[in-house]
Amino acid sequence: MVVLLAGITSVAEAQSFDDAIFMDKRVLCAGLVYTREQWTDYWEGTLKRDNGNIGTVTTQQGAFMTAYGITGRLNLIASLPYVSTKASQGVLQGQRGSQDLSVGIKYTALSTPLTSAGRLHLIGVAAFSLPTTEYTADFYPMSIGSRSKRATGRALLSFQGRNGVYVNASGAYTRRGNVMLDRPAYYTNGQLFLSDEVRMPDVRDMMLTVGYQRRGLVVPVTVTQQRTLGGGDIRRQDMPFVSNRMNFTRLDARVQYTLPRLSGVVLHAGGSRILDGRNVGQATSAMVGLLLAGKL
Amino acid sequence: MPTMRRAVPWLVRHVTAAGAIASGVLFSSCDKSITDLEPLPPLAAASVDAAAGNWQTIVLTSANQVAVAAPAAVTSDAYKAEIAAVKVAQATLTSAQRAKIDYWAGGGVLRWNQVLRGLVAKYNLPPAPRADGSYVFPDANNPFGDPAFPFANPPYAARAYSYIAVAQYEALKAAWFYKYQYNRAAPAKIDAGIQALMPVSDLPSYPSEDAVLAGVTVAMLQTLFPAAVEEATLRGADQREAAWLTGKATSSDLAAGLALGRSVATLVLARMTTDGTGNAVGNATLWAALADGARARGETPWLSLEMPARPPMLPAFGAVRTWSMTPVELIAARPAAPYPTASPEMKAEVAEVRRTTEKLTREQRAIAQRWNDGAGTYTPPGHWNDIAADHIRDAKFSEVRAARAFALLNMAMHDASVACWEAKFTYFNPRPSQLDPAIRTDIGLPNFPAYPSGHSTFSAAASEVLGYLFPSESANFRVMADEAGMSRLYGGIHYRLDIDEGKAHGNRVAAYTLRFAQSDRAQ
Repeated sequence: MVVLLAGITSVAEAQSFDDAIFMDKRVLCAGLVYTREQWTDYWEGTLKRDNGNIGTVTTQQGAFMTAYGITGRLNLIASLPYVSTKASQGVLQGQRGSQDLSVGIKYTALSTPLTSAGRLHLIGVAAFSLPTTEYTADFYPMSIGSRSKRATGRALLSFQGRNGVYVNASGAYTRRGNVMLDRPAYYTNGQLFLSDEVRMPDVRDMMLTVGYQRRGLVVPVTVTQQRTLGGGDIRRQDMPFVSNRMNFTRLDARVQYTLPRLSGVVLHAGGSRILDGRNVGQATSAMVGLLLAGKL
Repeated sequence: MPTMRRAVPWLVRHVTAAGAIASGVLFSSCDKSITDLEPLPPLAAASVDAAAGNWQTIVLTSANQVAVAAPAAVTSDAYKAEIAAVKVAQATLTSAQRAKIDYWAGGGVLRWNQVLRGLVAKYNLPPAPRADGSYVFPDANNPFGDPAFPFANPPYAARAYSYIAVAQYEALKAAWFYKYQYNRAAPAKIDAGIQALMPVSDLPSYPSEDAVLAGVTVAMLQTLFPAAVEEATLRGADQREAAWLTGKATSSDLAAGLALGRSVATLVLARMTTDGTGNAVGNATLWAALADGARARGETPWLSLEMPARPPMLPAFGAVRTWSMTPVELIAARPAAPYPTASPEMKAEVAEVRRTTEKLTREQRAIAQRWNDGAGTYTPPGHWNDIAADHIRDAKFSEVRAARAFALLNMAMHDASVACWEAKFTYFNPRPSQLDPAIRTDIGLPNFPAYPSGHSTFSAAASEVLGYLFPSESANFRVMADEAGMSRLYGGIHYRLDIDEGKAHGNRVAAYTLRFAQSDRAQ
């Protein structure tokens, strides 16, 4: 749920942890989502630049996703991505590995008709993420993630119109645990820390989605604004650091289509673009996914 | 399904439940405080080192080269007024003042070493390329510009650590000389009405060692890190205030110490500013001549792999004045030439780097990062100061003995840096990724020739000096130095030969420092 310079957890998870879609009772949905993200320009603090020593950084991610309907209004969700990074120029070694396992529950607290036009849903999501391997968090922008344990709470208000148009608005707060480095000191945010432990600032995000759904087709367009609540900027000509203040505004669009003759097969495709940021790459991404759903 | 009218209490109930779960999730482990790996408890020195005024000087001709006038008698009205002022201050201590006392009680030499490591890390960033692909060099006359001055890369840092440590050491030996000449006890020892808010020893207080340290260090930093002068000045003032508030020194102890520290800095700066570092950057003619020289020897010359290509780091640093070696000794200690770049031995070296980086284990990657000490860090010399600081603290060295330890350590590392750079630019040997572009690095690739490895040279020299100062730990220091050397192979930026020869080179350089140390009348 936290997009970093390298690492694209959000796009792939968006269909589960931060949307208003629920599996019916005893329905299990599982599948794979592939995402490819690239950036050449990045924000060094607030200064937008490119860097010949990395060229274009490409992050590929294959994520296993699953969701299960405990009831129609309480879903269990999990995802586990495998991530690889690569720079087109320079000598830095790309990194790869199994990243963070995320497990969460999504609960419809309220579902009620609102005027004659549609229904209003109030949804809460609570999720945990934890690293599954000892990948390094100290090699940005090539690191595959932050190695931080995370806990996220999200509140989502969804209005679903009878005409198929829906609007979701949500806000989340992610608490991030400290990260351990393999070195005894580091400099960030104007200070030398004589420690191998990095305090990770928490993150909040806000999302606004306008979408359309009809007969197996769901087309959401989402604007996400992430703000890291602390952390330092990348210094002039320095490497990024795990606890940098990584902010962005991103636009993404997606199509989700359930095959008419194979009602348990769901195809996903989409793309996103970072519009503005701080200490992140101006990433463009594309994703495709295939999920299978069926009643147990 | 609830209707809107029924929804309100229903909503409250469910949202409260969801909120309780969410808060449990979010705030279950609230402690985010960072472990300080280098805490400094109040320094109560194991010995006052009363004879330190007689220890061998390095830059000063003698410990009393700078004159310090005799203080007023403790029975004088002037001194009684100073004592009274301390009592008043102690009676109205603020929490900000207590924080300064807590900070500086850890020891002035140790604290300034931490501060210096922070400054090096802050300024250890290479200039960014301009739009036309060229680079501007940092300018001491424009330290706040882009690029900032200095670029505190490893040679610059090694020199800065050494000059500050030596200046502190010289100034403290001078202070000790006068302390025992004038024998004025500390205020807390003279007047029972003054509390010792820091450990106060039998060390005479005139001139104040804290003020000497503040005076000498701030003056050195002014030249080495001119953009940090305001921060350094404030810290120096805090250090003096802390000594005054705690009953360690009166205002005349501080004034004499400050003046002595500044005078010693002037003498040390006269050496530093004429040591040849000003020419170390070189120019386009020199850079071309280095490559041409390698080609003339039938070798593949080093090339910058940065994009855009960057001039090599301080190619003439090998001509900078050392602490303990003559220029002839420096050349004599230089490692023999590496394998020719086209030789089968060199191909085997390259192949080993590639093999290692392609099958890097998690532990090897951790070692590469532990010793990376690249851009934006306190550099390898800073890492060894970090290691030394723990031992100096645990040994409860007096300020003057702590200064000696840092001086010897950093003199050896500065000499290692000069010697290593002299060798690097004699041979101008390519990095592994230049000879085999398939080699990817797990740490940043330094922008200067490979042979011999700077990390290995620094680390061997440092471990030898630390092993001399703390003999029971010497084996451990060597293990660390070996690991630091090997980290460069794991990182994909050095051949094994660079590491082995760099280590041997560092040992030879340290022998010159140890020759001085063994006869300095302090051990």
